[in-house]
Amino acid sequence: MNLPESLRISWRSIASHKLRSTLTTLGVIIGVASVITFMVLGGAFTASIVGDLESFDEPGMLVWTQTTPADGFGVIEVDAAIYTEHDVERLEALDGVSSVSPTASIPVTQTAHGGDRVTGTVGVTATTDGYFLPEEIVDGEAFTAGANEAMINAHAAQLFDGGVGVGDELTLSLPDGSSETVTVVGVVEEADGFGSSPMLYVPTDPFYTTTIETPRETTEHAYSSLVVVAEGPESVDGVQTAILEYFESDEADASQLKQGDHEIAVQTVDDAIEQVTEIVDQLTILIAGIAAIALVVGSIGIANIMIVSVTERTREIGIMKAVGATNRDILQLFLVESVILGFIGSVFGVLLGLGVGFLGVSLLEWPMVYPLDWIAIAIAVGVGVGVLSGLYPAWQAAKTDPIEALRHE
Amino acid sequence: MTRESEPNAPAVAAVDVRRTYELGGEPVHALDGVSLTLPAGSFTAVMGPSGSGKSTLMNVLGCLDTPDAGTVELGGQRIAELSGRERARLRGREIGFVFQTFNLMPRLSAAENVTLPMLFAPTVEGRRERARTLLARVGLEDRVDHAPSELSGGQRQRVAIARALANDPTLILADEPTGNLDTATGDRIMSLFEELHAEGATILMVTHEPNTAAYADRIVHVLDGRIETIEDLGSGDPAGASSDDSVASAGGDA
Repeated sequence: MNLPESLRISWRSIASHKLRSTLTTLGVIIGVASVITFMVLGGAFTASIVGDLESFDEPGMLVWTQTTPADGFGVIEVDAAIYTEHDVERLEALDGVSSVSPTASIPVTQTAHGGDRVTGTVGVTATTDGYFLPEEIVDGEAFTAGANEAMINAHAAQLFDGGVGVGDELTLSLPDGSSETVTVVGVVEEADGFGSSPMLYVPTDPFYTTTIETPRETTEHAYSSLVVVAEGPESVDGVQTAILEYFESDEADASQLKQGDHEIAVQTVDDAIEQVTEIVDQLTILIAGIAAIALVVGSIGIANIMIVSVTERTREIGIMKAVGATNRDILQLFLVESVILGFIGSVFGVLLGLGVGFLGVSLLEWPMVYPLDWIAIAIAVGVGVGVLSGLYPAWQAAKTDPIEALRHE
Repeated sequence: MTRESEPNAPAVAAVDVRRTYELGGEPVHALDGVSLTLPAGSFTAVMGPSGSGKSTLMNVLGCLDTPDAGTVELGGQRIAELSGRERARLRGREIGFVFQTFNLMPRLSAAENVTLPMLFAPTVEGRRERARTLLARVGLEDRVDHAPSELSGGQRQRVAIARALANDPTLILADEPTGNLDTATGDRIMSLFEELHAEGATILMVTHEPNTAAYADRIVHVLDGRIETIEDLGSGDPAGASSDDSVASAGGDA
């Protein structure tokens, strides 16, 4: 029996049990739809972050210290002041470098605006005015080195009653009991796409006073990370390599000041994109894996209904064998039927998944993505589910004794 | 039908066929040494009480069952030597079944039911056209696209007969073809068999009813898995035969 004929006859029996076939495929539909939905949301989330990062097109990179935690999974950032003024000067002198902005966190215990006090929540970072690109400053202007000025991000601005804007004054309480009053001169929106924690930025001069003994027996300021901006996008790679080479040499203070298990890393925007993508991808696959459990349930549903169907159609199997059907013909008929169920289930599942994903993406204002590879995988899995769940019932049908079957009521 | 057959050349030959079943631990000799030759173009009726082995004989001759001993030759092939797959193909090509309960596929139309044997015999061309021709042959040209549920009992049996003719078989096996029909309809079905016989088809029919059996050339009486007597009715004149009381009384449990 050829395939088109099998398809026709199998389709006939599916179509004659519409409700049953619909309910049977529902398991596969839900399974595939949840996988596709999560893939759309994951892909859209990545695309939205990557879009944010790329829109700045910043030729910048971050020099920071990382270590592998004891449990051995991933890397964590180390807040150690090891990048000295000497290192900053040497990096500034490298070919293709436009600016180097040192950063260090200031341990501010309390931030106050008028009588409104916020304890702990606001992170205060000391840096230089080169830290922000002009397009990141959404209101006001950059602070001036040596002045009691600050820049604030939108999230921190909203922490205070009535909000804080350009021209307002904030009082910072320092751990030694003293306090400093700063004037907000600018509002920023960070390019990293993660501007979700409240941040305040102040100039290193006069706020950052920490000094260390360098290996060259001088006393200098040292910072926990550096933002290096290259002259243009084309020089990013070369600058990244040059920085890494510098820190591998003995001339760098940081390489001697860092602890043995710490590592100096230079992360460009592209690296950040890659990292975000990787993390989101892993999360998405994990969630989709859980959703795939629904697929297993779906395949049990198909197997169940096929077994019922074989019993129900015992007599028909007998008739077909009497008119010349081989065991293989019967096997093919039932297998085609369950594959059709699996295929239809996965096609509708993909459509539903894209629909739900589109709704979610629209609500979150992320860009819509079509996870083509996952759509292909979902349909392949749907067909596979059909084969697997149909195999046993089809085999049962094939080995039916025609004499018994024809007597079957 | 169109098959050219030499007179009296055997279409089917069974020699010393034995078939034993286990039933509740007891062996049941359904066929206990049956030898029967069906010449091409012959019309044979098989009569016997329930459990006499009629059905087993039909299943063995129809390649649905294989004998434990003895040989069955169909279309020049010994069925015991064939694989299950080859037996299924041989059955599809050489045998046309007509059942008491019609056994049509409920979801397929009349034409599709007639097409079914041709689907499993891939060499047949122009299936749809042939199905129409055959349905016209049995007088159902205006019921081609009807579902079995839309047809009367007699019409269903006509579809079944058209289906049996689909692959131009060597042997038509009819199992109580009028058993579920009223007398008038049954007579019309038997007239159709008679016509097919006249056109050269080889027919073996199992029946309880002497009136029906009387359409055949000869009646094989089976009892306890053996052939008891073979009654020759000559050319098979149903009018003359049905009036013969001796035939009626030999009808077993009819």
